[in-house]
Amino acid sequence: MGILRLLLWRSVLAALTLLLVSVIVFMMLEVLPGDVATRILGRDATAQSLAVLRDELGLNQPAIARYLAWLGGLLTGDLGNSLVSRRPIPDILAPRVFNTLMLSTYAFLLYLPLALIPALLQAIRRDRLVDHVLSTVTLVLLSMPDFLLATLLLLIFVIYIPIFPAISLVDQSSSFWEYVQAMTLPAVTLAIVMAVYAVRMLRDNLIEVLESDYVRMAELKGLSARHVLLRHALPNAMVPTLNVTALNLAYLVGGVVVVEKVFSYPGFGSLLVDSLQLRDLPVIEVTVMIAALVYISANLFADIAAILLNPRLADG
Amino acid sequence: MMVRAGHAATGYRSLWRQMPLGFRIGALILLTHLIVAVTGQFWAPYGYSQMGAGVPLSGMSWRNLLGVDQLGRDVFSRVVHGSPIVIALSLSATLIGMVTGAIIGLFSGYVGGWVDLVIQRLLEALISIPFLVLALIAISAAGVEASGSPVLVVLVVALVYAPRIARIARAAAIDIATRDHVTVARLRGETPWSVMRRELLPNASGVLLVEFALRAGYAPVLIGSLGYLGFGMMPPTPEWGLIISENRALLLVSPVTVLGPGMALASLVVGLNLFTEGLARVLGRTVRLGSQ
Repeated sequence: MGILRLLLWRSVLAALTLLLVSVIVFMMLEVLPGDVATRILGRDATAQSLAVLRDELGLNQPAIARYLAWLGGLLTGDLGNSLVSRRPIPDILAPRVFNTLMLSTYAFLLYLPLALIPALLQAIRRDRLVDHVLSTVTLVLLSMPDFLLATLLLLIFVIYIPIFPAISLVDQSSSFWEYVQAMTLPAVTLAIVMAVYAVRMLRDNLIEVLESDYVRMAELKGLSARHVLLRHALPNAMVPTLNVTALNLAYLVGGVVVVEKVFSYPGFGSLLVDSLQLRDLPVIEVTVMIAALVYISANLFADIAAILLNPRLADG
Repeated sequence: MMVRAGHAATGYRSLWRQMPLGFRIGALILLTHLIVAVTGQFWAPYGYSQMGAGVPLSGMSWRNLLGVDQLGRDVFSRVVHGSPIVIALSLSATLIGMVTGAIIGLFSGYVGGWVDLVIQRLLEALISIPFLVLALIAISAAGVEASGSPVLVVLVVALVYAPRIARIARAAAIDIATRDHVTVARLRGETPWSVMRRELLPNASGVLLVEFALRAGYAPVLIGSLGYLGFGMMPPTPEWGLIISENRALLLVSPVTVLGPGMALASLVVGLNLFTEGLARVLGRTVRLGSQ
């Protein structure tokens, strides 16, 4: 199979997966739970208000018709209105997605040095004290739930060394500096969670590469240790780490749910939790679809990058 | 072996010594947690919802090791009483996810063809919804009446795990299915179910065991996250994530009420992760901790 055909096939599969996700999400939220109107309004709702809501949600139509109408809306960008605030969903979503994009970018910028520096240190000082200490630290951090890590950072940097605000409220009127201040702790939390996972993988890859023939060759040629490490070993160790970075991007979609909630950061993740609490069905459905879209795209890009970096994969 | 190591025959003792250091530390941490979980209810100083255990918000003291919460309950006793709950929920959720996932994965990988293709797409779709998001909408789908029920929490975590385990089991089945003894069994006319049980499962057990340990290590975190967000166990259940969320407002006055349950949760997961890593090494497999 040629590379182009393979890439096309992967894209088709990804689109198919997204379509299936939409079926699952719709089934779980609108078909399985029985009477959706009662579930939204609660048991004490009057028959009249139930009838109004059923009419508004189109619950009198068969499930398949409702699904197709909903899917059509998603595809044409007609996302409908929130049940709670009555505002169009894109208006609610846009600032939240913007905030989460800012937060994710910030987290990714912090993630790169946090992943690279400890891994390089560990690889150079393999089986020495630094390596063991960092292995233990990453293991403990890896075992710590993100909400706990966030709470610990809150304790240290808000209460003991008060540098950052406890609640990361921002809106359109916030200045750039206010944004940075509000985002730092949530971004650090996300960056640490992503980094510890990458550090452990990158360390093992680096050590493997450092023992390979071409690195030995470069050393024998008399190149400096720094040159060998940064020019020869690191780029090769990065290839498998690319996959981890894509996985981390995928983690980020779920991770923001908890972390934004801990810091009350008004992003996409806290929107999902809030709408779940308010049982705002249309908003829940759209946010879950966006989360799945990001996850699937991240994996697709990792696949494509892996194939382009190593075309032999295309033969398999 | 970890239980017997202390007092049993020297054979066990030397086996214990051969285990990687991380595995032994992990096993000891887990043993401590298990002992607390089983015996805790007999020696915990107060009941898990007993009020008036001390001056509310009074912080760390000999009477209340981890402080007292807003309702005057002893946090140490709550953490101890929560231990069997957290462990039982995690293990049963992982077990159900494991059994369902293994059956689906082995079947799909062995049968192959379009059945495999359809199952694979479905699993892929379930995995594409971030695990916490999937758990949250599943809880939402179950409705208000079911919220806070331990059965729901277990089933939801199992639902999140099953497709991920099925993917691993499927890969193992495809690998094993090409071996001669499987071909022979098939030619003998054995049914797919019997081939799965007799040929595939025993050969995939190493992979599945490591996968079980890995998933069990993450289950307390997932259950804790659900509790923390208010979608898991309900008050006054002393589930650790829930205790952390309840005492978050006390972070300023009495940080130990949050740090205590936090350390309990983190140490359990550290123990399970060390155990998993050691187990993988003993079985000659590689494992990526933290992969979701």
